[in-house]
Amino acid sequence: MRERFATGFDPFVLPFLVGMIFVLGYCAYGIFRILFQLSRQDRRKFLLSLITPSTALKNIWDIFANCLLHVKLWKRNRMLGFMHSSIAFGWFMIILLGHIEVMVYCPERVRLLYYPIFFNYFVAENESTIGGAVLFFLMDFFLLLILTGIALAMIKRVRSRIFGMRRTTRPSALDRVGLYSLWAIFPLRLLAESFTAHISGGSFLTIPANWVFRQFLGNDLNMLPTWWAYSIALGVFMCVLPFTRYMHIPAEMMLIPMRNAGLKIRHPRKGFAKVEVLSCPGCGVCIDACPMSVKKVNIKDCTVYLNRQIRRGNEKRIEEISDKCLLCGKCEAVCQVGVEGPKLRIAQRASRRYGLTPDYSGIDVAPLVAAAKGSKVLYFSGCMTRLTPSIGKAVTSLMHKAGVDFVWMDRDEGLCCGRPLLTAGRIDAAIGLIHKNEEIILSSGADTLVLSCPICYKIFTERYSLPGVRVVNYTDYFSELVEHGRLHLTKGDVCYVYHDPCELGRGCGIYDSPRKLIGQAAGIAEAPKTREESICCGGSLGSLTLDFSQREAMTRNALKNLYESRADAIATACPLCLTTFSRYSERPVRDLAEVLDASCSG
Amino acid sequence: MDSQTVLIIGGGVAGMEAARQLRLLGCEPVIVEKSDHLGGHVAGWHKLFPDMLSASSLIERMSESLDGITVYLKTQVASMNRLKDGFSVMLTNGTGLLCRAVLIASGFRLFEASRKEEYGYGVYDRVITNSDLEYWFNTGEDDRIPDNLSNIAFVHCVGSRDLKAGNPQCSKVCCMTAVKQAIEMKERFPDAEIWCFYMDLRLFGKKYEDFYINAQRDYGVHFVRGRVSEVSEDIDGRVILKAEDTLAGRQVKLKADLLVLMAGMLCNEDTAGLASMVRAEVDSDGFLRSRDNIFRINESSRPGIFFAGACTGTKTVPETVAEARAAALDIRNYLNGND
Repeated sequence: MRERFATGFDPFVLPFLVGMIFVLGYCAYGIFRILFQLSRQDRRKFLLSLITPSTALKNIWDIFANCLLHVKLWKRNRMLGFMHSSIAFGWFMIILLGHIEVMVYCPERVRLLYYPIFFNYFVAENESTIGGAVLFFLMDFFLLLILTGIALAMIKRVRSRIFGMRRTTRPSALDRVGLYSLWAIFPLRLLAESFTAHISGGSFLTIPANWVFRQFLGNDLNMLPTWWAYSIALGVFMCVLPFTRYMHIPAEMMLIPMRNAGLKIRHPRKGFAKVEVLSCPGCGVCIDACPMSVKKVNIKDCTVYLNRQIRRGNEKRIEEISDKCLLCGKCEAVCQVGVEGPKLRIAQRASRRYGLTPDYSGIDVAPLVAAAKGSKVLYFSGCMTRLTPSIGKAVTSLMHKAGVDFVWMDRDEGLCCGRPLLTAGRIDAAIGLIHKNEEIILSSGADTLVLSCPICYKIFTERYSLPGVRVVNYTDYFSELVEHGRLHLTKGDVCYVYHDPCELGRGCGIYDSPRKLIGQAAGIAEAPKTREESICCGGSLGSLTLDFSQREAMTRNALKNLYESRADAIATACPLCLTTFSRYSERPVRDLAEVLDASCSG
Repeated sequence: MDSQTVLIIGGGVAGMEAARQLRLLGCEPVIVEKSDHLGGHVAGWHKLFPDMLSASSLIERMSESLDGITVYLKTQVASMNRLKDGFSVMLTNGTGLLCRAVLIASGFRLFEASRKEEYGYGVYDRVITNSDLEYWFNTGEDDRIPDNLSNIAFVHCVGSRDLKAGNPQCSKVCCMTAVKQAIEMKERFPDAEIWCFYMDLRLFGKKYEDFYINAQRDYGVHFVRGRVSEVSEDIDGRVILKAEDTLAGRQVKLKADLLVLMAGMLCNEDTAGLASMVRAEVDSDGFLRSRDNIFRINESSRPGIFFAGACTGTKTVPETVAEARAAALDIRNYLNGND
């Protein structure tokens, strides 16, 4: 081992140094800014979580698994998983090995930022030593891994369909600069290391390349320009990084600890939301997932574009996109970094100021309490079920067949659960209704509350405080009745395909009990896109601006997915899905309660 | 082709009247009707406004005038192909026809009231449609209608002017039908209170307004401006309606013994199939597209294909009859080459 330059410096490292210092400075500033934007409790919570051993370990593992190995992406799409993890993990290993080399051979240089990166230029080592052979082999191996990943990335740019992506985002101009400089970094590194391989040593990749180049490029004059080029590519990439989608690389490392600390979005642009937005890699997986994207005009309303517009500060578009969304949550379910698209939008809606704020404190709950008294089991149907009387009728009939003594608390009059107000961002108004409903339910003396509408169920489980009252969705409740032998189902001939309502599936994580019940009452089939991937029916209350003609295309698209199962009929567990599908469906649509009631003899 | 055969698709009021006129004009009309009787929807009706003419006697009179005209019942068109100066038609009963012109008079279908789930048609026992009520007037058979009625509610615009139901247009006849049926019910149940829930009343025709005033003044029918939001069921089977009285600006709740839904008109489901056979166009509302909606309502954009009646949009009976006559004349002129 010998150092080739006593100074340990060459001007070609400057572009890299500038880029590195800029990006480190920018990130440090960003971290302080975001910490400052958090509320005091959140900041405390976050900082405490960093020094709590269990969360700290979890953070390290999550960062390793998601940022480097891309475990979640592997599970979803192996090609994309390989592409991302080969680049991320390979790059990480090259940086790590570079540091090890410096620490092994010239520990006094370790504080120089550029030394581990340009080690082969500054230090001549022979691959015939054990240390050199092992380290250089590993270096070449990981470089090869990255180059494979870059090759895949180039193919993906041209033909995204090979990777199972129908549509992907259009990169902005700066994104392209970042993209091309990223692509250039590693081939340039290969070239640079190959030109110095006969001096500084190399391995299975760089030494043969060195032989080839020396056949027709007989001198060493090419050495310095390629190292310059390599440094410039790195410098350009790092200088544009904060303004491109590649910001997701540092941002995700911040997002994971913040999420593990249990932080929530409280402001549409600041603090945690900001980190989420910056963490968006702009991959565009949410475009294919979005139910609105069946209409081409709506493609630019997907979460990836919301993030882009928030970064650009385009207020008009941010508002438009936020209001249009159905809040079905599929973008969140498929998102690799876990950007909470619906919550970002609700926070944006909540920032709007209205001239009038409804005040529900004057509602007299006494008659509603009187109507809810008389039994341990309460049934809250909600407005949507009252508009689809067949569901309420079937639930009542099943309860009678099971011999459950219950009270339908809002059969005649009732208050809204508050979820539509919440999704519209009118959180204070929703809380007003929530308190009223809590008062009615707690004064009724009941200990179980059954809900047949998943829209209500979601807000009841998330926002209501009902000590001593068990809140249960009717799918779970009927499952229990069947298990306890109080309901007897006989299998019919009809075959149903079950549609997962957004609010019940992705919203509350209930996927299995409705399937199990239908399986006992009739035949059951699965649609190609199901469970977490289920397509919103298009009727969602979440959207504030979509009109019926636009929704129709979405409903038909969701139905097309269900028809592919070749079942005779469609079953769902949400009154809104039922109404929406019934409008256009060629096959009969039934609610779960109706399916059960038809096959239950009592 | 020398024949003067004209195929008429649909044996309702439009098809029958067109056939009669075409024969008077010297053509040879052939009627194809998919149901087992002539007269279409009108045959199932009891009395027709504004003269309270008996529908069955009208259909009887019209049928008699068709003596000698070929009528294929329970038959549909299987295929239609354009020839040089006419059409070759295959019917589902195996008959083949060569005709010079085709008159599409395939009419409308009633909106399925069960699709407006909040009104509980098919779910609650005491909810019927306008068409069910006419059937009961004719036959007296309907278990859903009890012997004693003290409160009867009519809901206008069920599946009409309703984007959610996928049908934005007005069905034209239901306002007047509701007024007529309200009066008929009041005559049968003089002690009953009758309530009509409407968005606005479109009483455009001759004597319609008189009927409306009579209904209020002489029969005491209550008209409430506001849509019914939801319907639930009482323990004794009666229905409870919730609505907003938008004139009084307050919510109303009504217990009714019978709820009648004024189901609207939609284009017949097989019309699009027929249109595609001869490449006629379907309009954005699902009905057939006329050459224009002012001067050439009876004509399609294709030569030899004519329209009459509710296949091009919602129509009343007199409008349909007038269109059928006009279409007959158009066809005669077309056959004579006086286009």
